[in-house]
Amino acid sequence: MPKFLCLQRSLSAPDAEKPSPAQMQEMYAKFGAWAEKFKDNLVDMGGKLGNGKLAATEPPADRHFVEVKELVGGYMIVSASSLDEAMRVVKECPGLVRPGSGCEVIEIQMPGG
Amino acid sequence: MQELSGLNAPASPPASLPKHFFRREYANLVALLSRRIGVHHIEAIEDAVQSALMTALEQWGHSGAPGNPSAWLYRVAHRRVLDELRGAARRRAIISEQSDRVEASEAPLEVSFEQELPDDLLRMLFVCCDPQIPAASQLVFSLKVLCGFDVREIALRLFLSEANVYKKLSRARQRLHAMGKEGWDVAGNQQNDRLPTVHHVLYLLFTEGYLSSHAEQAIRRELCAEAIRLATLLTAHRIGQESTSRALRALMHLHMARLGSRQDETGALLLLEEQERSLWDQSEIQEGLKWLAASAEGETFSRYHAEAAIAAEHCLAPSFKDTRWHRVAELYELLEHVSPSPLHRLNRAIATAEWKGAQAGLAVLKGVEPPTWLAGSYLWSAAQSDLLRRAGEKEKARERALTAMKTAPNDAIRQLLKKRLMPPFH
Repeated sequence: MPKFLCLQRSLSAPDAEKPSPAQMQEMYAKFGAWAEKFKDNLVDMGGKLGNGKLAATEPPADRHFVEVKELVGGYMIVSASSLDEAMRVVKECPGLVRPGSGCEVIEIQMPGG
Repeated sequence: MQELSGLNAPASPPASLPKHFFRREYANLVALLSRRIGVHHIEAIEDAVQSALMTALEQWGHSGAPGNPSAWLYRVAHRRVLDELRGAARRRAIISEQSDRVEASEAPLEVSFEQELPDDLLRMLFVCCDPQIPAASQLVFSLKVLCGFDVREIALRLFLSEANVYKKLSRARQRLHAMGKEGWDVAGNQQNDRLPTVHHVLYLLFTEGYLSSHAEQAIRRELCAEAIRLATLLTAHRIGQESTSRALRALMHLHMARLGSRQDETGALLLLEEQERSLWDQSEIQEGLKWLAASAEGETFSRYHAEAAIAAEHCLAPSFKDTRWHRVAELYELLEHVSPSPLHRLNRAIATAEWKGAQAGLAVLKGVEPPTWLAGSYLWSAAQSDLLRRAGEKEKARERALTAMKTAPNDAIRQLLKKRLMPPFH
């Protein structure tokens, strides 16, 4: 089964209102229900990304270097029969696809795949 | 975050958390940190707790909740608030070129949740009841820090604007800020002085839920449950082991028992005489009676004693008709003595009418000039209309009924009034 790297991308985030503790509880439960529903697809629940540095032979002098965490909130690895199926899994994930946040789904090409 | 990595027990998908986990943790963490870092830093503490909960939400979904979620949250929130205060101190130092160190030390990370938490939560309640904080702010601030509701949720529950809630919260925070570190130290005698205010805030919290015209029963039940939770904390503590606290607790259980039967399946409000008594929650009634008996020790007789005793009469009556109305009327009279209000007189009139007839009920109201707030309220005209109709004064009754319906605060109550006051002709 092909695997897909899912990167949470922060889009131009409007000043989102902070969720209340009660809303957090609801979000947590919805996320749990989603993870349960798609447990066969969720190969690696991944996590949030923190600080990073680029290791290179030369510093990327001429390029505007954007820190990865500014763009990418977190990652996950999903297995699915096709890109479309992976998109369906991801789109149902509460909190992931919403105003201010999207998810990029990229196929991981396997040797001989 | 290195020190946290070891706490992450691998678990996936995320385990479900106990009911109200985030709201409870919010209140617990605010209280624990207020003791350790200083309640004058309440704003930084509230922000740090909010941010720790967000981190939990983001991380636990992926990695599973840690073995001891409360300890995990405490560590994260504790670190955040210290970081924030140090950062603020550094910024001030740069501006004023003075060293302005944060006094809060690296408090030991181990917290005995079972032993310290109830004390800290209860202390927070007494801190909220500081006499310098305006009464309306005390309730709003308690809902924020002890129940974990946010501004929007409080506004929705108390029928206030968000701006108004925000203003009330600011007042309370300003006062705590001005108090400095001492804000937390409510001495023994001050605790006794504040006890009546604590009772009042818990009573308001309960009645906001019980009497609310809020359409959603879940929301009302939740407020009542919060009041009972805090009253339980109080009666378990030395300071609350006294007659009035127990009477307050009795009152809450005896009302809670009947909350579910106040509406029919369409959400329409039901009159006491229409309620299905078999739906009343017997375990709540038993709990209430137990506390009512416990409250009877000593000389004290407060309004909560009277109200609990009235509620007990209703709970124990086999039917509306077979209620001991003479007893209810007497208790309302006692209530009027300890807590004078024309509303209590009105209730006495209603009980007297059931006991001795509508004329006797009207006689109780004779000569009472209701204050403007009550005269303009549907309660006054509705009760009068009902008594007048039963006494045979049809014209006057109809006139009052129309006034009552015009002033009803919402449709559920308007429907109830129409059903009661304007029965179809036959």
